Amino acid sequence: MRMKKILAAVLAAAMVFSLTACGGNSGGGSSDGGSVSSGGSGSGSSDTLEVKIWDGEQADGLRQICDEWTAQSGIKVNLQVMGWTEYFTLLEAGASGGQMPDVFWMHSTVADLYMSNNMLLNLDDYIARDNIDLGNYYSDIVDTYTYDGVHYALPKDHDTVALVYNKAIFDQYGVEYPNENWTWEDLYDAAKAITDAGEGKVYGFAAGPDANQEFYWDVIHSYGGYVISEDKKTSGMDDPKSIEAMEYVGRLAKDCMPPQSVIAETQKTPLFNSGVAAMIPLGSWGVRPLYVNENKDNYAFEVLPYCDRNGNGQADDGERVSIYAGIGWSAAASTKNPDAAWDLIKWLSSKEMQVKQSDLGVTMAGYIGASDTFSDAFPGMDISAYIKTEQEATLVPRPASKYTTQWETKTNELLVTAWNDTSRMEEMCLQIADEMNTLLAQE
Amino acid sequence: MSQKKKLTPAQKNEMFWGWLFVAPTIIGLVVLNFYPIFNTIWQSLCKTGDFGLGNTFVGLKNYSEVLGSGEFWQSLVNTFKYAIIEVPFSVAIALVLAVLLNRKMRGRSVYRTIFFMPMVAAPAAVAMVWRWLYNQQYGLLNHVFGKQAAWISDPNIAWISIGVIGVWSILGYNMVLLIGGLQEIPHDYYEAASIDGATGIRQFFTITVPLLSPTLFFIIQTRIIGALQQFDFIYMVMDKSNPAMDSVQTIVPLFYEYAFTYGNKGYGGAIVILLLIVTLILTVILQKTEKMWVYHG
Repeated sequence: MRMKKILAAVLAAAMVFSLTACGGNSGGGSSDGGSVSSGGSGSGSSDTLEVKIWDGEQADGLRQICDEWTAQSGIKVNLQVMGWTEYFTLLEAGASGGQMPDVFWMHSTVADLYMSNNMLLNLDDYIARDNIDLGNYYSDIVDTYTYDGVHYALPKDHDTVALVYNKAIFDQYGVEYPNENWTWEDLYDAAKAITDAGEGKVYGFAAGPDANQEFYWDVIHSYGGYVISEDKKTSGMDDPKSIEAMEYVGRLAKDCMPPQSVIAETQKTPLFNSGVAAMIPLGSWGVRPLYVNENKDNYAFEVLPYCDRNGNGQADDGERVSIYAGIGWSAAASTKNPDAAWDLIKWLSSKEMQVKQSDLGVTMAGYIGASDTFSDAFPGMDISAYIKTEQEATLVPRPASKYTTQWETKTNELLVTAWNDTSRMEEMCLQIADEMNTLLAQE
Repeated sequence: MSQKKKLTPAQKNEMFWGWLFVAPTIIGLVVLNFYPIFNTIWQSLCKTGDFGLGNTFVGLKNYSEVLGSGEFWQSLVNTFKYAIIEVPFSVAIALVLAVLLNRKMRGRSVYRTIFFMPMVAAPAAVAMVWRWLYNQQYGLLNHVFGKQAAWISDPNIAWISIGVIGVWSILGYNMVLLIGGLQEIPHDYYEAASIDGATGIRQFFTITVPLLSPTLFFIIQTRIIGALQQFDFIYMVMDKSNPAMDSVQTIVPLFYEYAFTYGNKGYGGAIVILLLIVTLILTVILQKTEKMWVYHG
């Protein structure tokens, strides 16, 4: 009898585990299921390439570009989209289990991790064979996907950050529109005026602790601080300039933004689209959800404000900063069809297709000089500020190291506290630096 | 050995078919459950390398780190907070519903179907709907009550809000099991009790509850195990930047964060093995108390 019960308990425990395992997958379960079945057919035949990306907004445009390649090469492309977080979870699981897609997006947050573990296809021989001139691409983005001198991806795009504002709200409260001479203090003043007049219904600005590339990393760099040292060994979050910048961010959060919990629950873009926030910082990849909104005629874009560090009344080199990054097209080291994978990557990053990508409004290009048409991709909405940013602002590559995801998530978590109690901003910055340094020491 | 020789061809044949029929289950258990369990235990004793490569044995280091982190204990407390809402309420309400819907009444199967509906919906979809119901800016709840409550962002109430989703989605399942249990109870008992003058309430507590106790025990036990594994609602409803995250995050999402978001399988494995141990202890305690209140006719 006792044995039976123990056995029952063990079986119950087994259930515990199997359920846990299922639970772990449910985050991206549906998309995973899809990929497994189609992956099976893909590996059997050499006439289909599995391609994975994480941004649904770009899928239609990229499908068109891939279709053109299929027409020419005769090899089908099975393009699959999943969410940003699930993408990396599944890619990691696939990499551990030897089930990676053939061609897929790489990002600076995990590039070092994949490259240092030889998970990506070495493209050097192909680049040499086909005489690809890497000088045509943004060098920071090429560097992101270079490890020990080996190239593992061709740049797909690059992005910049701009400020988007709702003219109707500015008109309503009689506040002057943002312009390119704004400093961060000017932004604060305008945002505060709108927030005060908005009486808890309308706020001047919105950006949460997860808006790093789109917001506070840009502020930190424009104040002369930094997030991570160039050798990727130490955190810059305890740098006095970084703390000064974050104190500014804290003031903005306290006086000019909806409660942090509202931003977390609803996200800044929906808050902007629904007229609750008058301004948000927005990466160039996030334009499309604005364009389909009924208020889009009221939207206007401007370059990010700057920090007048030397007090001469104009934006000098390094005072206006846009953090920028670019996705890379990479292939799995384990792909059964490396030649076709390379051919597709070469196609996607070729000048013609990079221009087409801008034409279609998918994103700006990774190929230098192929982005201009992106400005006109959304008729009736002037987004030239993103292009203007390239001349007006200093572009700083997105901070990254081998385990970026870990310290980025920690930073986000700790800043939630700072957003809610801005008097603790400095304390949190020091704690972030501590945690980052511990993590970086393990890399 | 001597016994084996005595098997007749017919018995051998029977044995062959017997094994064949249980083979799918056994193979499934071994491949999908036992192998992963032992693999997880092994990984929890290792400093795991990137992509599962280059694991090095470190003994109980992961465990001492997990046990030394406030995060783990807070999550364990949160897990129990969730279970304390989900289990008693979902069982008690389901019991009342089961009794009501076990009578002859109009539209009985319609009601049963309605209550069972949440069980059919995918947990992720359920969570997304509730996320918007709870939204403090645009949510239906605040709209109806004319409030500005931060249902899922106020650390004082967020854990209750998440618990409510759990109760709502498991209610119908518990109810169906209980209706099954109720239908096992012979009608004679109620008739006899009525003749003796017992009221409906009295009948409920002296006939229904004791005779239903084996079913109740089964539900409570499986629900406790289920509640300790809560993942979907927290993962889907709570944004990573949610200020109430610390007071709501349970063990399995914590495990997920370390094992899958950070790729630290060893540390994550230790977390989940500790959950297993907690669950085992609880199960043993429950089994011990079974005699005290479960009535085996």
